[in-house]
Amino acid sequence: MSDFYEFDTLSLHAGQTVDKEFGARATPIYQTTSYVFPDTDTASSIFNLERGGHAYSRITNPTVGVLEQRIASLEGGSAAVCTASGMAATFCGITAILSQGDHIVASSQMYGGNISLMKNTLPRFGITTTFVDPTDIDGFSSAIQDNTKLIYGELIGNPGLDILDLEAIAKIGSEHNIAFMVDATFNTPYLCRPFDFGANITMHSVTKWMGGHGAAIGGVVVDGGNFDWGATDKYPTISEAYAPFQGINLWEEFGPSAFATRIRAEAMRDFGPSMSPMNAFLLLQGIETLSLRMDKHLSNTLKILDFLSNHQQVSWVSHPSLPSHSSHELAKKYLPKGAGSIVSFGVKGGREAGKAFIENVELASHLANVGDSKTLIIHPATTTHSRIDAEALVAAGITEDMIRLSVGLEDVKDLQSGFEAGFRAARKFAGG
Amino acid sequence: MYFDVNGKRVFATTGGKIFDNALPTVIFLHGSGLDHTFWGLHSRFFAFRKYSVLAPDFPGHTHSDGPPLTSIESMADWLNDVVETSGAKDISIVAHSQGCLVALEFASRFRNKLRSVSFVASGLATPVNAALIKAAENDPETAIAMMLSWGFGSAGHLHQGPIPGSSMVAGGRKVMRSNVPAALATDLKACNAYQNGKMAAAAIDCPVQVILGEKDRMAPRKAGLELAEHLNNPELHIIRESGHMVPQEAPDESRRLLRDFIFSNNPSN
Repeated sequence: MSDFYEFDTLSLHAGQTVDKEFGARATPIYQTTSYVFPDTDTASSIFNLERGGHAYSRITNPTVGVLEQRIASLEGGSAAVCTASGMAATFCGITAILSQGDHIVASSQMYGGNISLMKNTLPRFGITTTFVDPTDIDGFSSAIQDNTKLIYGELIGNPGLDILDLEAIAKIGSEHNIAFMVDATFNTPYLCRPFDFGANITMHSVTKWMGGHGAAIGGVVVDGGNFDWGATDKYPTISEAYAPFQGINLWEEFGPSAFATRIRAEAMRDFGPSMSPMNAFLLLQGIETLSLRMDKHLSNTLKILDFLSNHQQVSWVSHPSLPSHSSHELAKKYLPKGAGSIVSFGVKGGREAGKAFIENVELASHLANVGDSKTLIIHPATTTHSRIDAEALVAAGITEDMIRLSVGLEDVKDLQSGFEAGFRAARKFAGG
Repeated sequence: MYFDVNGKRVFATTGGKIFDNALPTVIFLHGSGLDHTFWGLHSRFFAFRKYSVLAPDFPGHTHSDGPPLTSIESMADWLNDVVETSGAKDISIVAHSQGCLVALEFASRFRNKLRSVSFVASGLATPVNAALIKAAENDPETAIAMMLSWGFGSAGHLHQGPIPGSSMVAGGRKVMRSNVPAALATDLKACNAYQNGKMAAAAIDCPVQVILGEKDRMAPRKAGLELAEHLNNPELHIIRESGHMVPQEAPDESRRLLRDFIFSNNPSN
């Protein structure tokens, strides 16, 4: 029998060696830029990737390292690299393996920042993207080109909440020797570990549920260690000599953590989107209670869904746990504990009613974030997804009347009272 | 690099340097179900200090063609073929676990090719739990979990690793999954069947070193000490807090011990 630690234990302990000098139980905050080398041989061997160790906090930091190993352990990945934000994680993951002339096949239903990156920014560097309806599996297959090197999607699409069929898409990736990267922010490792279903890379905005407190921005890329980078000539950044490190072949030398090593060796060094030690510490505090918070998020979400579904001023409610949702069966398969705590709904009376609701709702905070312990609310069409065009809005499943709700941990009775204040203000637009 | 041995493709990492058989060679041998990456924090170190390095994948492991070899003796023969094909000379072998049994057999039969042998986490024999062999045959995923669980000490179980951000246990799991399906069971049966350890150890006449993990649950310290007793004047080290996966759990200490031993007994100019 094996005796590996379970999820809750890893959430509290993984990655941390108790400080030998003072015995600090909490992970110390190593607020330092750099590290004293004991001798020149140690210094050169760290720089030459002959040994582990810290040289400069843009590349690695002991506090950030604990967070990276903790997330890798929870996700089931071989290695993780933390970044300054979720978008930095996405960018670092993409640029680790794609170069000018390469192509991505991506879900059309994603966070506006992801869509903007792929639609507006990456083309300036010669990387193009074909967006596909996440429910159209054949669409992913037919969008693949000779230069396609990445399939990308969010497991729970933001904000339409369609569920990506991980196994089906991983199969397509495997058949074409194309890496499959999943934005797993909305699910966290507690609800689903995409590597268990064939994904090769995940990223999280750890700003969201992983942290939970809304006090620190951060991201992470996790290497699944399950992609054969040497099986094809598509990935020279991993499987061919890398000049800055004396021609190292990362795939040969680092095997299951070759992808993460490329991010560390290139993106963190050349782009520098490093996470601060203080943020890593704050995010570690959040992860310690991840499962407890997620369970409460889920139970509150079910109660709020019941409340909204039966409210006379709500025109529609969307959540994958509802049998009416098109992804309900996929949610049961990939998210058996629950399909997250983001709810989309429409207020009768359209855009003006929605505006009145948001401006008058009490307790729920009107802001551009999700996954906080506090309940959050926003109008995506005019905020988080305002930089994408009308066609992309439709593709992302966003309507003018859509309100995105991130259900927090408050007492549901209080949340419902706060919502009623919003509904009262919206009533005049609904003719009620 | 890849090279052909008896019509089969063999992969060996050379530590990031082009293999040069004019230099003394350090050969790293991995244990059951693992591959060359197990030695990643040692192979590159020697390659950048005027040694040629070969860390091969045994047949059927990760990048080397199968099928896996079925006995320790045949693995020693295969290793000799690797040495002959590569032209390696002035050889120091560094071996872990099953690799140590291969090293015992090779060193006793091809004595003139060796300058030193370092045995890491092994005894004279490796009797394997019947339940583990059965699991490896019928349910490799369970067997992999058992081996990793028993193999790593507390640091491994907490997903720590010598490289910031990496998990030793998860990395090991990915490596073991990348072998041909029969590799682990074949390895374990080969270990279990090997009986020539005492004879082989007595026949070795080059400098030898034994490095053990204090908390090794797979090759307990008692077995390692027995190996040391049967070797000729070994240098013996026990690394505190380390489990069976010494090169990964204690890379800095094991690298220092290997460096001092090999630099002394097989110097490179």
